[in-house]
Amino acid sequence: MWTLKRYPFVWLLPALLPVALVTLYPVGHALWTSLHSVMLLFPGEPFVGLENYTRVVTSNYFAVALRNSATFTALAAPAVVAIGVSLALFLRRRFFGRTMVRSIVLLPWVLPGAISAVLWTWVFHPSFGLLNWVLLEIGILDRSVSFLASPWLAFISVLVAHVWTQIPFAVVLTMASLAAIHPETMEAARLDSRSSWKRFRFVIFPEIKPMVVVLLIYNALMAFTSYDLVYAMTGGGPGTATTLLAFQIWRESFSMYDFGAGAAVAFIVVVISALLIIAITRALPSDLFGDR
Amino acid sequence: MHRRSAFDLSVAALVLLFTGGPIFLALYGSIVPDRILLDPDVSILDVGPNLESYRYIFTGELPATYSEGRANRRMISDAARQVPGSLWNSIRIALAAMVLNIVLGAPAAFMFARYTFPAKRLSFMFLILSPLVPAVALLVPIYMTMQALGLVGSIWGIILVHTARTLPFTVLILSVFFRRLPAELFEAARLDRCNSFQSFLRIAVPLALPSIGATGLFAFMLSYSEYMFSLVLSGEAQSRTVSVVMAALARNTDVSWNLLNTGIFIAIIPTLIVVVVIWRFVVEGLLKGGVNG
Repeated sequence: MWTLKRYPFVWLLPALLPVALVTLYPVGHALWTSLHSVMLLFPGEPFVGLENYTRVVTSNYFAVALRNSATFTALAAPAVVAIGVSLALFLRRRFFGRTMVRSIVLLPWVLPGAISAVLWTWVFHPSFGLLNWVLLEIGILDRSVSFLASPWLAFISVLVAHVWTQIPFAVVLTMASLAAIHPETMEAARLDSRSSWKRFRFVIFPEIKPMVVVLLIYNALMAFTSYDLVYAMTGGGPGTATTLLAFQIWRESFSMYDFGAGAAVAFIVVVISALLIIAITRALPSDLFGDR
Repeated sequence: MHRRSAFDLSVAALVLLFTGGPIFLALYGSIVPDRILLDPDVSILDVGPNLESYRYIFTGELPATYSEGRANRRMISDAARQVPGSLWNSIRIALAAMVLNIVLGAPAAFMFARYTFPAKRLSFMFLILSPLVPAVALLVPIYMTMQALGLVGSIWGIILVHTARTLPFTVLILSVFFRRLPAELFEAARLDRCNSFQSFLRIAVPLALPSIGATGLFAFMLSYSEYMFSLVLSGEAQSRTVSVVMAALARNTDVSWNLLNTGIFIAIIPTLIVVVVIWRFVVEGLLKGGVNG
């Protein structure tokens, strides 16, 4: 690590400027909105202090939405990373049809969220759904189940669809960081240990750990802030079973036209996401931030 | 050895079923008219595949089933005919976002990975924390910013927003990759009087090219599947992206399953080709050359 005193910002500004353009003023504007009463139906935007925040926190949906979001993130992010890493390891092996499988794995990636939602709605459809048909044929079920109408099945269905859309990211980045491992390291590991679990635990995992941490952070953020699958598959229902906190930002702003409350939910989400990131980097220390 | 390859094949089959299953459903739905699709007594084997909805999307010629007397003409939608054009927009936008992400992000990532400098922690924290604010909350102010720049209604506004929203992740991922390159190489370069720009361009970039390719792919797909900003920034029909058109088609409950699935399938194929080409030639092709040694 060398010190560069002169002109580091010539290198950084190309990246920092566009990010600043979509961050500084927009975030300031959103913060301002969260402290004012901004409603489409009532003209004038009086300063209300933290009233939006207290109203949101004490509202009837907040506790449920927070719990749903927390469960969703706690299940989705580790699931995506675990499945992604296992798949990436599996795809390094030689087997018949490997090339095809490697391309098919990328498929969920090429679909916009709205389309993934449509496809999964079709899989879970009570009368024409693929899943019902398969389970009926095998004989596990004796009549069809409406997956999206029962509270916890709906939650699981949205979770499965979400994990499905995020897996290719994890696979691609894990494969790239597996490939960056020095071949001699792998060779030495093969000679030292016959147990493939031990090889993974003591040789491969430490090598890909920074990427795993990045993936966990990214996926925790995605799970905590995405709402498009919920919007398209269940609309937050049945009841409040799939109501996520991020979905409430949309609902407050663009369904109730209470932009102040929407922005307040957004900043509550920001604080929780920041805590999540800190927790993940504390739990899995790696030289991610270049301190060493 | 046989047991192991049987295990591999069954895992591969499971992977195929899970990742590809819903998309094979779309393929099936696109070649079977709704009438037959929703009828449990008739199967595709009785009637054979039907490609009329594909013909409609590309030429505008109505499928025969919709010209019959009692047919519900509302089940066909003009939005479906926007799919090929929007696909072209999406691919241009996503490729531009990918190139910009690499060109703008790689130097910054290299700085963060290899050097210490004043305000390093501050600027890194700024990058990492900026994507925390959910996009929904920034929709209105970002729209206003783009309007002030005169970029609403063109693909350039969408490219700019996609690039800026993806850059923090690109920089983070690339700096992880750059830090993994052996430090001795850069020390040798320094002894050979390479300045930092030369050691970036001549050593770091060629060595990390597969990783850069994978990161570019990541930026490409984030841009390609983004919906909300594309929707509000696209304005008129000619700069709409495929995610916007497909969402309109999917939310229009009148549109027939057959037509929707045809749209989905047309939207998938070219993108899958782009992704597989980048993956094969940039990421894997270079790995075989053993440049990571």
